[in-house]
Amino acid sequence: MTTPTALRRYAPFASASLQSMLQYRSTLLIGAVTATTAVGLQVFLWRAVYAGRSDGLPGGYDLPELTTYVLLAQLLALSQANRVDEEVAGEVQRGDIATSLLRPVNYPLARFAAGLPVSLVNATLVGLPVLLLYAFLLPLAAPTWTGLLLFLPSAALSLVIGFGVNLLVGLAGFVTTNIWGVRIVKDSVVAFFAGQVVPIALMPGPLAAVAHVMPFQGLVDGPLRLLLGHYTGPAQAAGILIVQAAWAAALAAAAALAWRKAVRRVEVLGG
Amino acid sequence: MIVAEDLVKEFKVHRRRPGLIGSLGTLFSREHDIVRAVSGVSFRILPGVRAAYIGANGAGKSTTVKMLTGVMNPTSGRCTVAGLEPYRDRRRTAANIGVVFGQRSQLWWDLPVADSFRILRRIHDIPDPVYRRNMALYQELLDLDALGTTPVRQLSLGQRMRAEVAASLLHDPAAVFLDEPTVGLDLVLKEAVRELVNRVNAQLGTTVMLTSHDIGDITSICDQVLVVNHGAVVHQGTVHELLRAADTRAVVFEYQDGPDPHQAIALIEARLPGVTARQSECRRIIVDYPTGRLSARQVMAFLLEHFDLTDCVAPEPDLETVLRRIYTRRAEPREVPV
Repeated sequence: MTTPTALRRYAPFASASLQSMLQYRSTLLIGAVTATTAVGLQVFLWRAVYAGRSDGLPGGYDLPELTTYVLLAQLLALSQANRVDEEVAGEVQRGDIATSLLRPVNYPLARFAAGLPVSLVNATLVGLPVLLLYAFLLPLAAPTWTGLLLFLPSAALSLVIGFGVNLLVGLAGFVTTNIWGVRIVKDSVVAFFAGQVVPIALMPGPLAAVAHVMPFQGLVDGPLRLLLGHYTGPAQAAGILIVQAAWAAALAAAAALAWRKAVRRVEVLGG
Repeated sequence: MIVAEDLVKEFKVHRRRPGLIGSLGTLFSREHDIVRAVSGVSFRILPGVRAAYIGANGAGKSTTVKMLTGVMNPTSGRCTVAGLEPYRDRRRTAANIGVVFGQRSQLWWDLPVADSFRILRRIHDIPDPVYRRNMALYQELLDLDALGTTPVRQLSLGQRMRAEVAASLLHDPAAVFLDEPTVGLDLVLKEAVRELVNRVNAQLGTTVMLTSHDIGDITSICDQVLVVNHGAVVHQGTVHELLRAADTRAVVFEYQDGPDPHQAIALIEARLPGVTARQSECRRIIVDYPTGRLSARQVMAFLLEHFDLTDCVAPEPDLETVLRRIYTRRAEPREVPV
């Protein structure tokens, strides 16, 4: 699976997905507008909350740090929105899964390859401009080199976690046919426990404890704590990465297992 | 090359009651029926054979093809394609076979056809000479370049179908499964697709399994016919053998003078055992006779003796009629409407 020949078989799924994505320019534009507004709402809400406070730093975040956190949280979530859940479930519902099964490749890996460009395009063509726009408008916390160095692998791991979660949700399509409801629940649960809406440090104790044992904190809270230096020492920083890597591996294994179970249930009627 | 042994596929279908009240009911009860789409199908298709897999709608053709291509698991029984059990060894089978599901696309919806081919080439790791040879062949027969840079989603059905057939053959598969490959094609393109399949079969020995409702596809591509009815194979043999299996043949004649058509029909039916006659135009009569009891010569002799014939033809039994008889045999055992 790691030989170059094998990689050569999955690369075309990535380039095809990238090409397809670039066909829809207006979708990207609308995505940018939506992201700008959503980020603005969050950022200005939090800044308003903070403006009335005079007592210390809640959760240890000062205003520029919190602004950065909230801003990047939205952009990370945007990059993790790789559409794998709706595409997998859509294929199952329409029966197009039949043609996907005719390709001599591992379906989850091909899906991962096809999902990566979506993340990268969202991050660079939508996320980056939005980040620059707000960096120009508001004071942000300047990251340290250490922060950046830790953030990059952590963000990469967050993409794998995000992919695993979405693939598992998509595979739910084999059981329920229509996963709209599952997705709505997933979106809100994941956003909350990832620390995308509220940094986990600001959550009440028991809730924070729950968030820490879930895989979702590796999506947003983990990478941003590393970026902003919100850890007690190298051991804790390494801990964040190790927990992320463990969750990424566990979710990948779970998705692979779920796929093997699901593929035996394929029932494509008609056509 | 393609072997099926007692292949069975059953589906669970949730029972739904009609109407709004019924729909509400299904929210609370989860009854289901078991539908047997394929019941104990067995056959063997040798390498290089072009076999037609035919049967009426709902006979279980597509389901069988989906098991043979590794898309679905059989409920019981087994099948192998090129020695592999497709559903157990899906990826290796996928490298060995080509498939066209007429109603689904294997091309990338948002990309031009040429891009889909480039992607397939890399996915299947197709060597350069093979890729070039095949692309030249498709260009010659199907004029694929004419599809230009239009994304697949904007192509007409006919344009898409020829690209689908070509795509299924791109990696020189040992066996190709064509499920309704000429749907939506005009006569010229149908011919081109048939020519392509036949040429690939002749040059590379590709085994072909075709399901189609188009009799032309069957007669111009296939040398073998498998007829399935109610989920089981009822005939396997050459096209000729199938035609000879016709249990009635017809003689059509026209006559002048003599009795009026009603009397003529009565006379024929009274004197020739097991024969049915009917009027097609004013003095043109179709005589259907059972091949088991009468020969063409006996029927002709009778007609010559009793009527002043102006025209007389004994049409070949056509595949369509034979198939129609097979399809309706169990549902309607006595009379077959023609």
